[in-house]
Amino acid sequence: MNKPVRAKRPAEAPAVPRAVVVEDDADMAGFLAILLKNEGLDVDVLGDGTLALKEMLAAPPDLVLLDVMLPGVSGFEICERLKADPATALIPVVLVTALEDHESRVRGIEAGADDFLSKPVKREELIARVKTLRRLHETRRELEARRLAAEIQRKETIRKAFSRYISPRLAERIIEDLGTDGAPFKGEPERARVVALFADLRGFTAIVESIEVRTVVGMLNEYFSVLTDAAYQHDGAIFNMAGDSLLVGFNVPFPQPDAAVRAWHTAQDMASRFTPISRSWRERHGVETGLGIGICSGEAIIGNIGSPHYMSHTVIGDTINTAARLVQIAQAGELLISAAAFEPLRGVVPATRVEARGQVTLRGKSESISVYSIRL
Amino acid sequence: MGEKSYRVSVAKDLEDLIPVFMKNRHKELDTLRVALASADFEQLRQVGHRMKGVGNSYGFEHVSDLGKHIEEGARSGDRAALEARIAEYGEYLAKVQVVYE
Repeated sequence: MNKPVRAKRPAEAPAVPRAVVVEDDADMAGFLAILLKNEGLDVDVLGDGTLALKEMLAAPPDLVLLDVMLPGVSGFEICERLKADPATALIPVVLVTALEDHESRVRGIEAGADDFLSKPVKREELIARVKTLRRLHETRRELEARRLAAEIQRKETIRKAFSRYISPRLAERIIEDLGTDGAPFKGEPERARVVALFADLRGFTAIVESIEVRTVVGMLNEYFSVLTDAAYQHDGAIFNMAGDSLLVGFNVPFPQPDAAVRAWHTAQDMASRFTPISRSWRERHGVETGLGIGICSGEAIIGNIGSPHYMSHTVIGDTINTAARLVQIAQAGELLISAAAFEPLRGVVPATRVEARGQVTLRGKSESISVYSIRL
Repeated sequence: MGEKSYRVSVAKDLEDLIPVFMKNRHKELDTLRVALASADFEQLRQVGHRMKGVGNSYGFEHVSDLGKHIEEGARSGDRAALEARIAEYGEYLAKVQVVYE
């Protein structure tokens, strides 16, 4: 009786509760199966402990009737393993033992068995226990569903709250961390390949000097709003927003094999979304503004930086510094990109918009780097 | 054991299982005889234990009773008692009549 005896289930039939009888005595197994079927359950019979455990972990049933002495893994061990796995912990397990076998009952309680059935099995007793356990199982499932719904709601609330301040991708990561041990960003800093994009507003100084503060804040919000929309549209992670510049990372915190292409599309979108805003500012406030962008790819360190009282999850390193230096010298409507970041974009960016700048020595850097200019 | 006690009432829904059940009991009897001949008391105990569990589940109370005695006899090594019970089991299986209700 090592092969599972599957209950026949028509594909179109509605789902009915499924019981697994793990019993190596064919007569006892057949008897238990008939009684359970009479109660409206689908029944699978398995005679080998090891196989039964594997099958039940792979496809958790709604009820388990378990003999104690089995070939392979014992009934106690099966019970322990089912109760230790969150996917099967709530399944009612009935141990079928000899009436006078008190030792097995104690061992069964220790293993987490929900109930016991004595051999010889009394039909009325089995039916009553199955009915009770099914009711209990339904109640447990309902409570678990409610708990899960509350947990999802809680995480959604956190996600919404965080998403106003940080990138949705980072918010997701925080929530994932919360799900494991409740301590966000507990992980060690890590080194990863990133594509860093810095966007900076040209003409910001003139805005600050000539326009009243409340209006400046409104303008900045308008500006950052279109930039963050563009970043999120291409799944960029916003790491920093300061003054009039924005730092967006790609390939972090989640791998993006097409990170450079995403960064390019983000830059394009930022420029096209900002154009009407810039026009409107010129008309309303008489200021000339534009968008400069710097992109660099390479290694960076991702982690929590700050003090116990104020912490920022950000990216640091030479790649980020280089992107920051590039944006400083980018003109309005210009993207300056390092050669390494530009390589994957050959054939993606129209060649007519690209100009090789050759080796450029950036401020604060001892070595020059090869840079390309792209008209946005 | 009187003539009447060889009649066993079995629930109608178990009818399909009874032919195999009876066949297994006859095999069980053979196993008991071989185990007794070779003084394999552990085997006798195990078979007695199984009979005890399965017999009355199907309505065969006497199979459970005999199983209980065989298990006890095997534990105590009472060969004479085991011989008598196994003989009784053979006679029972030869005469038992099943009625479905």
